[in-house]
Amino acid sequence: MDLTTLAIAATPSFIASAVEFVEATTIVLAVGVTRGWRAPLAGAALAVATLGAIVASLGVALVTLVPRHLLLGLVGALLLLFGLRWLRKAVLRFAGIVALHDEDEIYRREVAELRAQGLTRTEWDWVGMVVSYKAVLLEGVEVAFIVIAFGAKGVAAMNAAIVGALAAGVLVIALAAVLRHPLTAVPENWMKFGVGALLSSFGVFWSAEGAGTEWPGDAASIPLILGAFLIASWLAVRMLALIVPRGARLEARNV
Amino acid sequence: MSSVLRAIWDNTYGLLVDDGQLAIGAIVALAIMWLIAATTPSEGHDNAGWLLLGLVVALVLANLYRAGRNARRHAG
Repeated sequence: MDLTTLAIAATPSFIASAVEFVEATTIVLAVGVTRGWRAPLAGAALAVATLGAIVASLGVALVTLVPRHLLLGLVGALLLLFGLRWLRKAVLRFAGIVALHDEDEIYRREVAELRAQGLTRTEWDWVGMVVSYKAVLLEGVEVAFIVIAFGAKGVAAMNAAIVGALAAGVLVIALAAVLRHPLTAVPENWMKFGVGALLSSFGVFWSAEGAGTEWPGDAASIPLILGAFLIASWLAVRMLALIVPRGARLEARNV
Repeated sequence: MSSVLRAIWDNTYGLLVDDGQLAIGAIVALAIMWLIAATTPSEGHDNAGWLLLGLVVALVLANLYRAGRNARRHAG
């Protein structure tokens, strides 16, 4: 695996997947701490197996069967939609219109809900297993999408994207196992902002390649596209600071 | 089981669409880029990518401006 493939597929896959792993780990930790570890770990393992099947079937089929231009166009369009969604939310968060993502708060809320449901020690903890399965599967679907999207350029890119996601998973799980606490020190909001800009940039790059256009310098254009998104985001945060009164925090759905 | 499937569908849809106007705008920008790439010869053809970038950046700024105006209205 050469350095360019690593930089293009593995690095963004690592960063984006790390954000999703942190969110899933928070829920699994909350279940494990309140209800014991066997059921949530079984739920998480089952979800990982489900995700493995999704990536193995869908990802490999996409990369090997679909014509390259069509694949790049399709994945580019999906990446653009996915990335713009993250970028929009990140800008709204930094402008103070949407509350910042708080793993500690999510953890406390989840623990309170799980404690309220109670637990019979003699039975298998189906609630804990389902909560853990659902959390890992739902966050994992995003990881699977990220891996497939960044790996869409071919087998080497797919391998690099998988390596990036696996490395993120191992790192986040190891840290959570050692700390036994949500990873609040991870700068999730900044990472989401960066990932949104990165995904949008790859979306634009691959959509255009899928339409048969050639970028000057090929992948060397990506930093320029990324720069355009970062400048636009900075301008948007400044613009929103001027438009919206300080302290006006509203739910994203309302705006 | 159906609630899990429903949650997967909601999550998958939510992966791509948070704001309907932004998603539709992005699809329109992609369609314009594809049309230009397919109908113009060489040089204009290769500029279609930059056009897409310009359209998307303008779309994001316009969408966030609208979001800001709405937030201001809600805040009273």
